[in-house]
Amino acid sequence: MENAIEVKGMQKIFGEHTAINKVSFNVKQGEIFGFLGPSGSGKTTTVKVLTGELKQTVGDVKVLGIDSENFGSSAFKSQVGILSDNSSLYERLTIYDNLKLFCKLYGAPLKQIDVVLREVNLHDERSKIVSTLSKGMKQRVLLAKALIHNPKLVFLDEPTSALDPGNMAHIHRGLQKLNEAGTTIFLTTHNMEEATELCDRVAFLHNGELQELDSPNSLRYKYSTHAFHVETFKGNRLVIDNQPDQADQIRDLIANGEIKAMHTDNPTLGQIFLKVTGKELE
Amino acid sequence: MSVQRIHAIFEKDLKDLPRNIALLMLPVSNILLALIYSLTVDGEPPIAFLYLIAGATFSMVTSGIMMSMIAEENEKNTMRGLIQSPASLLDIIIGKSLVTGIITAISLMVSLMIVGIEPLMNFRAIIGLILMFLFFLLVGIGIGLFSKSLAATSGYLMPVMFLFGFTPMIATFQLAEDSIIIRTTNTFPIMQAIELYDNNFWMPLGILTAWIIGAALFTFICFRKVMTDD
Ligand SMILES: Nc1ncnc2c1ncn2[C@@H]1O[C@H](COP(=O)(O)OP(=O)(O)OP(=O)(O)O)[C@@H](O)[C@H]1O
Ligand SMILES: [Mg+2]
Repeated sequence: MENAIEVKGMQKIFGEHTAINKVSFNVKQGEIFGFLGPSGSGKTTTVKVLTGELKQTVGDVKVLGIDSENFGSSAFKSQVGILSDNSSLYERLTIYDNLKLFCKLYGAPLKQIDVVLREVNLHDERSKIVSTLSKGMKQRVLLAKALIHNPKLVFLDEPTSALDPGNMAHIHRGLQKLNEAGTTIFLTTHNMEEATELCDRVAFLHNGELQELDSPNSLRYKYSTHAFHVETFKGNRLVIDNQPDQADQIRDLIANGEIKAMHTDNPTLGQIFLKVTGKELE
Repeated sequence: MSVQRIHAIFEKDLKDLPRNIALLMLPVSNILLALIYSLTVDGEPPIAFLYLIAGATFSMVTSGIMMSMIAEENEKNTMRGLIQSPASLLDIIIGKSLVTGIITAISLMVSLMIVGIEPLMNFRAIIGLILMFLFFLLVGIGIGLFSKSLAATSGYLMPVMFLFGFTPMIATFQLAEDSIIIRTTNTFPIMQAIELYDNNFWMPLGILTAWIIGAALFTFICFRKVMTDD
């Protein structure tokens, strides 16, 4: 089985509203897959369908070779970890007791609790009552909960939205390590730097339709104007097309030692996002 | 169904309950009720009164705590996390029922001991109490399953308490013996448990069983509804 997720012609309709419209894509085993799109584009709905919380109106959905009909089975549940946008914890219990519950429900060894607590940088806070935690700390406990049973595939719906840069970097390293150990990660985010840094491939969703799907680098190349931006010591800024008939101009600039800086015009994922969706970044 | 998962839920709820002040108020007020009575009335309490205390315990503590625990999981969205795990809804309910059973046993013992438990220390009385427990437990599970919030459960708990928990009180309304209300409420679980205690055996046992089957059916329908909800 090469694909961790296979989606064909998926549609999700709420009453009159089509939240996802004929979306098809595959997520390969072992990759970090980023699902990007503006607020309301259908990211969370997609995660919910892929995790069995919602049933697609039309289409074929397969996760880890399991058909969506069987997402209620323990074979599915024990292989999949989920951090949904509305996940929550037992507020009156400690971090440790929360994780202990899920450790036992998944039949994982209790020593996993310490492993995941270190992964999310909360080992020293394990005896704190959840209601006393900050939003970012709760988010990290939820992430720990999603990883407690060492799942093959994890769905993370905006896992880092409440984190400070230090903890964000810590979590990113943790996710990369997890991925190197073989875990497939399906991630939604509004943070384009995060997507660029982490994801092997990203998909852009807009109004419930898939607009783009490729590696961040390929997309940046695709949306590039392929021109060179040159800044000279005299303070001029030139845009030179990447065309054979422009070669002389560039050669002359180099020969005369005029170039202060030169770079190609590859847009960031954020700029591509704006182009694809015609929307401001949230 | 898995013993390990039931135990995990049981352990979690047993730890959580003492920290849940709102829920603790239920057994506490039940015991207070017994205390107030024993301080104001002298001598042996009438048997109907012992059953009134039992009814108060089963409705407030058994049904009340059970429905609140389930409704809170719905309201706070923690139910989702449980369902996403390999735990089945049945595991979750059995784990919670065990916790409810323990709290019920403690508050029933304490409140009955305050007013005088001796008359109920016999086979027939205990059978009646166990059947009443089952009835109120099932009612609590059913209501908890369809309640989306804790606030909603208190609205449902009131009628359960007054109809089924405090049924012997209706005798104090001075209605005619053969009025439709008296004849109806005489078939209610507590009245049948009293009947079981001091008159017949098989007839009230049958009626109590019918109540339990009815409650089980209600719970099953709520269960199905939750499982098939989008
Ligand atoms: N249960 C529901 N009933 C009706 N409409 C819904 C439901 N859930 C989602 N929608 C609609 O589907 C669309 C997609 O919502 P979704 O939550 O998937 O967006 P999202 O991409 O996750 O947004 P965000 O970035 O804000 O989390 C929205 O228009 C939303 O209003
Ligand atoms: Mg969302």
